[in-house]
Amino acid sequence: MDITHSQHGSVRIIELKGRMDAVTAPLFDKAFAEAATPDASDFVIQLNGLEYISSAGLRSILMVAKQVKARSGRLILTGLTDEVREVFHLSGFHTILRICDTKEAALAELA
Amino acid sequence: MIRVEHLCKRFGDLMVLKDINAEIRRGQVISIIGPSGTGKSTFLRCLNLLDQPSGGRIEIDGEDILAPKANVPALRRRMGTVFQSFNLFSHLTVLENLTIGPIRLLGKPPAQAATTGLELLRMVGLAEKAHSLPDEISGGQKQRVAIARCLSMEPEIILIDEPISALDPTMVSEVLAVIRRLARQGMTMAIVTHEMEFARDVSTRVFYLDEGLIYEEGPPERIFDHPQRQRDRDFIGKVRSLSYHVTTADYDPYALVGKIEGFCEKHLIPHRIAHAAQLLAEEVLGVLLTPLAPPRAVPTGQIVASSALAGTASTGPPLTVKVTASPAPSGPTHPDIELVLAFSEKQRSLEPRLDGAGPPGNPLETANLPDDFALNLIRHYAADIGYERVGERNRLRMRVQSIAGREAVAPIPLVRQCGAGLGGGHELDSATDGDPTEPDRFGRLARRTPATGMTPHQRLSS
Ligand SMILES: Nc1ncnc2c1ncn2[C@@H]1O[C@H](COP(=O)(O)OP(=O)(O)OP(=O)(O)O)[C@@H](O)[C@H]1O
Ligand SMILES: [Mg+2]
Repeated sequence: MDITHSQHGSVRIIELKGRMDAVTAPLFDKAFAEAATPDASDFVIQLNGLEYISSAGLRSILMVAKQVKARSGRLILTGLTDEVREVFHLSGFHTILRICDTKEAALAELA
Repeated sequence: MIRVEHLCKRFGDLMVLKDINAEIRRGQVISIIGPSGTGKSTFLRCLNLLDQPSGGRIEIDGEDILAPKANVPALRRRMGTVFQSFNLFSHLTVLENLTIGPIRLLGKPPAQAATTGLELLRMVGLAEKAHSLPDEISGGQKQRVAIARCLSMEPEIILIDEPISALDPTMVSEVLAVIRRLARQGMTMAIVTHEMEFARDVSTRVFYLDEGLIYEEGPPERIFDHPQRQRDRDFIGKVRSLSYHVTTADYDPYALVGKIEGFCEKHLIPHRIAHAAQLLAEEVLGVLLTPLAPPRAVPTGQIVASSALAGTASTGPPLTVKVTASPAPSGPTHPDIELVLAFSEKQRSLEPRLDGAGPPGNPLETANLPDDFALNLIRHYAADIGYERVGERNRLRMRVQSIAGREAVAPIPLVRQCGAGLGGGHELDSATDGDPTEPDRFGRLARRTPATGMTPHQRLSS
């Protein structure tokens, strides 16, 4: 899995590409911990390039969502591929996480 | 007519036939099927002593043909053989090929042998080729001549080994038609063939040979429509498989993914099925590598994560009890898990099978998982999940949700949209009821968790 960070205003953007499985999910945890500096509250996780997510990935994303909530921030996931969308849906994630089609829409919402 | 007991045959160190027991009665047509190299040809060659058996007993009408005093040439003459290579005499005409045996070996007068020979050629549809040389006729015609020649020796049983495998496909039907006709006339035959349709409609009994044994035998309807054992099920369903052995919790998932992808590409399995197979492999391996729930009693006030599987009705209200902690994870110390991905060309279905050593119990029910994500994914992507205890091992098999058909995945209509929450986003601690009318599509293990598919303690409100 490839992970890239960027920042747009105060919004931290993490982009994930490839496979998020039992081996790579901890890399995402680590990347989030790095991005979540004390001043950061809003996050966009871009998933256009994520072609696979397993329960380990779901667990990581849920942990991140809890951490964002704990710091009273906002989290938006964008660009779900069909595979990821299916897994999200059947795990109920689409009802508890904010999901937008594009990064631009997410940033507009957080602005 | 023929009784075989404990027949074995080895070539040097190679034990090809271990313990064959079989009976062939007069008028029966036996098809012998099985994977390549399992000894089908060897079995036929042992029957007429072209190969000397290493042990066991073969009786013809009660006479032991392996006894030192047995009259082998006479016994052999009672069995005709038609093998893949036709072995016609190329310098003799078609008709002469049919008369030479009866004249020389059976002492028939030449005129009578010629009359019978022509009749037989007529029966196989080749009377007009009587005076042609073998090189002047086609492969299918040669094979029919070979059958007629075999019949000219008036055998009591005919042993046929892959009569069409050397033939051009266009000639297959003419040869099979001749064999069908012999079957209808009540000729006793043992036929080794890879043509399953032919075996099904021509034979009275089928022997499925594998692992040096007659692994399964029975009437064709049973063998083809209800094969009892995994190996012949796979063979008959034209199953190709990939296997992967996991001996450590730190197995290399990318090696496994690479293999699954390669396998799926090779068999033109659609991407979404390949994706589901990867997920199932990862999730089920994850479950098998998770320690069992500790045997000690669950302290009151706690509900273990697997309770959703263990009997909570899916229609019941969502649980609100918080699970405090799960024991430190440490998987089985020496995992020994065999993962097989079996693809049936015939049914276009893909079956992951996992087989692991461990104490009795369905791992999907006994594993001490931190949450239900893995089980939800497994239940969604797999159909017909079956569990079986075999020896010291637990076996799970499932089918990846249909390869044909299932277009868009039916969204599971369990969740109501919720109002705003979480900084303008969605509410994280929504709890909604499942739809009690939703039919159960996951079979026995199909108790879906209520509401969002998550156990309550996973909700962010906790
Ligand atoms: N004369 C021989 N010497 C040594 N090994 C042999 C001999 N004949 C056969 N074998 C071995 O015995 C095994 C069974 O061979 P056999 O030809 O009986 O298989 P089969 O079931 O007829 O296979 P196929 O479907 O490919 O014809 C093979 O491993 C083969 O290599
Ligand atoms: Mg053979």
